[in-house]
Amino acid sequence: MAPRSILKNSTVSTNGPPVERPVNQRHMETALHHANIIEQRKIVEQKVLENVIVLMDFPTSSDADPTRPSPADALLFRELMLPFQPSDYDALIEERNIAELCGYALCPRPRRKARTRAKKQFVMTDSGPEIVDKKLLEIWCSDDCAKRALYVKVQLNENPAWMRQDGYGDKVELMVENAAEHTLSLPIRLKKEAAPVDNSKSDEDEDAAAAWAARDDALADLAMERGEKPGRLTKANKDLISKTIRERVGHTAPVAPSLEDQISNAHMAIEGHIPRTSRPQDDDDDEDANEIDWDKHLPT
Amino acid sequence: MEDRGGHSPSMIRMWRVYRTAKEMCLDRGYDVSREDCDISLAEFAHKCQREDGDPERTRLHFSCQPSPAMLQKYAQLPTAKDPDPQPAIGTMWVEFNGDENVGLKQLRDYITHLGSGSFYSGIMICTKPMTGMGLKLLRSAPHIEEGPKGGVEVFVEQDLLVNITKHELVPKHVLLSQEEKKQLLQRYRLKETQLPRIQVTDPVAKYLGLRRGQVVKIIRKSETAGRYASYRWAI
Repeated sequence: MAPRSILKNSTVSTNGPPVERPVNQRHMETALHHANIIEQRKIVEQKVLENVIVLMDFPTSSDADPTRPSPADALLFRELMLPFQPSDYDALIEERNIAELCGYALCPRPRRKARTRAKKQFVMTDSGPEIVDKKLLEIWCSDDCAKRALYVKVQLNENPAWMRQDGYGDKVELMVENAAEHTLSLPIRLKKEAAPVDNSKSDEDEDAAAAWAARDDALADLAMERGEKPGRLTKANKDLISKTIRERVGHTAPVAPSLEDQISNAHMAIEGHIPRTSRPQDDDDDEDANEIDWDKHLPT
Repeated sequence: MEDRGGHSPSMIRMWRVYRTAKEMCLDRGYDVSREDCDISLAEFAHKCQREDGDPERTRLHFSCQPSPAMLQKYAQLPTAKDPDPQPAIGTMWVEFNGDENVGLKQLRDYITHLGSGSFYSGIMICTKPMTGMGLKLLRSAPHIEEGPKGGVEVFVEQDLLVNITKHELVPKHVLLSQEEKKQLLQRYRLKETQLPRIQVTDPVAKYLGLRRGQVVKIIRKSETAGRYASYRWAI
């Protein structure tokens, strides 16, 4: 029970509910803006965490080859890498190491074990023996995997994903021997109708005939999309699928800045009026005069 | 000082950690016997010693039930929607993890274990600080559906070597129940935002397992007034 107040009732209670004030639109917008930024950041961090959890149990098959990952794995890996920063990638490697796996997410092998339990180890390199931390030695399963993993790390964007202007940034490239497969499967993947075709392709990787049939199907679909009729001559060469995409990117050529924009005196304007002293005509005169003056100073 | 009796340093360390963990559960209000908190080194060694003299951590796990007083303290205020609410506390599972590195994998296993054992909350005590990603998962743990309702706390063994609340400079912290909090705010005509704050990451707050929104009464010694109580709102 609250004790009874000894004050007169007429006084306004400072602890009463605040008087309803009209919402200041500007304050509201600012608050919302910042709240949205924080929300965005939380979403990205959550996504990174989920991606790390997925990549901890990667690759999907235990006999996958890090040099030739399956297209499905490679594609998923590259997609999951998008919101990562290099530090997140390090965390992923750390987590995989705790699970006794090689740090490279596309490698299913267990990590290398040092010969002894000593904290520092001797390692023979080209430039003689070196003393290396045991931890560093046990990150990867082989030097090859280390190279492939670091190849991915250097491509990651240092900016956190919520600060990046253009979405999440570019796709990362993998250091693989079957790179052609992954790039070829990309344009097919973009089409909705062709997606199941692509899945079947990855499943029966050995069955080359089926794969080629699937590819032809997809190409026929693409031809339909271009507005070609079946049986007519195609406008596009079959080998140039990726090239047509490249052309679209460069189709708005940048216009060279014109000289007038540069000379425009808008920056000299004071409330829209350009003072006479700073007009280009006067400037030129001044410069000329200055030059003459400057000449006069020279000893002859 | 007790006789070391040829016990290994790691055993003594573990003994102190175990005792602090038990004391922590007792101070929070769980049903823990006083004897458990004052377990002697010899007894402890008998309980968990391996052949090589190191402690076997898997034998130390324990669960504890909240005492009636604690259930009362964590009772929720009845609302129109929920006229007879359950107290926000339940059985707790305390696990000692001996792994050298604790990451997402161990934490996930632990959370699923808590879920399957229908524990309300859990404390994991590990040898080294957890990885960054693990801490991130911990922060989002209350939002995981299969996880425990009361959340998961992680302590490092190093932090439990001594019981910080027994230090003479640490004042007494007493958790207020929802009812007491309501009375306090009425008595001083406050809104809870007008109280001073305490972070939930504060060492004592972590020791007491404070949750956001709870209020603790802090009783200090005062030269002029004898005792001086202040209240802090956990954020």
